[in-house]
Amino acid sequence: MSSSSAVSLYLDPQIRDWVLFPITLVMILVGVLRHYVVVLLQATPKKLSRAAIREQRALTRCQILRATSANSPIPPSFYKAISQNLSEALKAGTYLKDGPPKADAPPTTPNPLSDPAAMDGMMAGMKTQMVMMVPQMVIMGWINFFFQGFVLIKLPFPLTLGFKSMLQRGIETPDMDVRWVSSLSWYFLNFFGLNGLYRLILGGDNSADSSRDMTVSPFASMGTAQPGQPQDFTKLYKAERDNLEFAEGLYSWVGQDVDMKVLRKYGKLPPNSKQ
Amino acid sequence: MSVASALSQLANYRVHNTRASQRTFEKGYQILQKNAHKNLGDDSWAFLEQLALASIDIGRLDVADDCLQLLSDKFPGSPRVECLTGIRLEAASPPETALKYYSELLEADSANATAWKRKISVLRRTGKVEKAVGELCAFLDTFYTDVEGWLELADLYAECCQYTPSLQALSHALLLAPQNPFYALQFAETAYTANDLPLALKTFLVVVDMSDGDESGVTLAESTPLGITVRAWFGVKLCTRRLLAPSTLQPSSESGTPPPTPTHLALLDELATERLRVAYSSSAGVKGEIARGREEVFAWVA
Repeated sequence: MSSSSAVSLYLDPQIRDWVLFPITLVMILVGVLRHYVVVLLQATPKKLSRAAIREQRALTRCQILRATSANSPIPPSFYKAISQNLSEALKAGTYLKDGPPKADAPPTTPNPLSDPAAMDGMMAGMKTQMVMMVPQMVIMGWINFFFQGFVLIKLPFPLTLGFKSMLQRGIETPDMDVRWVSSLSWYFLNFFGLNGLYRLILGGDNSADSSRDMTVSPFASMGTAQPGQPQDFTKLYKAERDNLEFAEGLYSWVGQDVDMKVLRKYGKLPPNSKQ
Repeated sequence: MSVASALSQLANYRVHNTRASQRTFEKGYQILQKNAHKNLGDDSWAFLEQLALASIDIGRLDVADDCLQLLSDKFPGSPRVECLTGIRLEAASPPETALKYYSELLEADSANATAWKRKISVLRRTGKVEKAVGELCAFLDTFYTDVEGWLELADLYAECCQYTPSLQALSHALLLAPQNPFYALQFAETAYTANDLPLALKTFLVVVDMSDGDESGVTLAESTPLGITVRAWFGVKLCTRRLLAPSTLQPSSESGTPPPTPTHLALLDELATERLRVAYSSSAGVKGEIARGREEVFAWVA
């Protein structure tokens, strides 16, 4: 890999053959391997019992009822009956998995460490993390040990000085052209930039890209997105009851004035008349 | 017929959920005998399921057994195959055996929706309506979003002349699919049968409002009502006629829907008459030709 005449820096082709290509190849292969290991490690989603499904979906019913309440397809008496039934049931806790709560029982917040279902979710996250961390640490150690301070390639386009710390990590030379890329920086470029290639090789939802996992810790994802995490349904139900009341205030039946509407539509009544 | 075209036809059936068992069987059997499904890849399992159902439908249980064998070899313990096995059981064995089979499936996994639905259908078929209603209610309490389930429940109630519960079940179906005029029409007809005329009238008008005016460029007053709209206009006419009939009794409405004022009723009656005359003055699509049943309809609306 030769440089232009102005710069008196020449790279040995051996560096290209024995450092640049191996690093890239190893990173791609580790990504592919990681994808398959994660697929193997993935536990089959746990089946929910009937009561648990019912508990989860009770909120959906309210949402469906509320979704159309401003222009509801069902007449007032039916709407009121459904709405009030749901409200009562939410208040009494009929939909809770363990049945209605006892009056004198102290309110308990579910502890994720004592619930086996939550532990499973946490373990799955940890396992994926391990599969990500271990090989990346090994590769980084390998590069640091054997190729520390290597200059690998020269980028074919000029860059500003701001990129120096990004492209020349591990080389402390203030005067070198920013276009030269060090071995450690090449590793990071690959680490963050190979996702597009993985998508080509393994398809859209692969788990080869490890940079994605960097942002989430196994403990951070617990409370929010993961299915099967303990949620305090009592609180959710309470909020939903307020929503239901609000929707009942907004309620109007689509058939309320439909006779007038149809008559106007067919020109039997003048538009916008009251009677 | 070539194998390729048969396969594409079958895939088309699968996408559109067409039952067409006899045709499916003829094509599928030919493919199965040529072993052409082997090079379908992952689609071959969907094909085998389709063929199994079709052959159960037309009574070729030997073919169904072959398909089932292939499927259960590939997916042991899959709930979908288990359900198919149950349907095969229903076809040949007494319903008690099938019921027992489904109950076992449900015991293993209480949230197996397909097995649960099959169980309810067997219960209904064997005449245990009360039990079927109970199970169906429990099912819908868990899987609220199942529109077919609500329609089935409405049908079950209507069969026993329980129109108010039937209307309640239909209202859930309406909530789940508010854009479907057919459910609204069923609601209106059930209300009419339950003698809740104001409610029926309003819902028939909702159906009219939802389904008319599909043709662009023609003003509504000039367009010809088609399909479901005609049926809804018939409903409107029936309701207005009965509401206008001189009677000492106020029209009862269990749902508390107020009827329109007499002036509006008269206008609606007039409009429905006019619409029905338009609908039957020429047959659909062909101008000038007189529609079938024109005389009768004209005599009826007059």
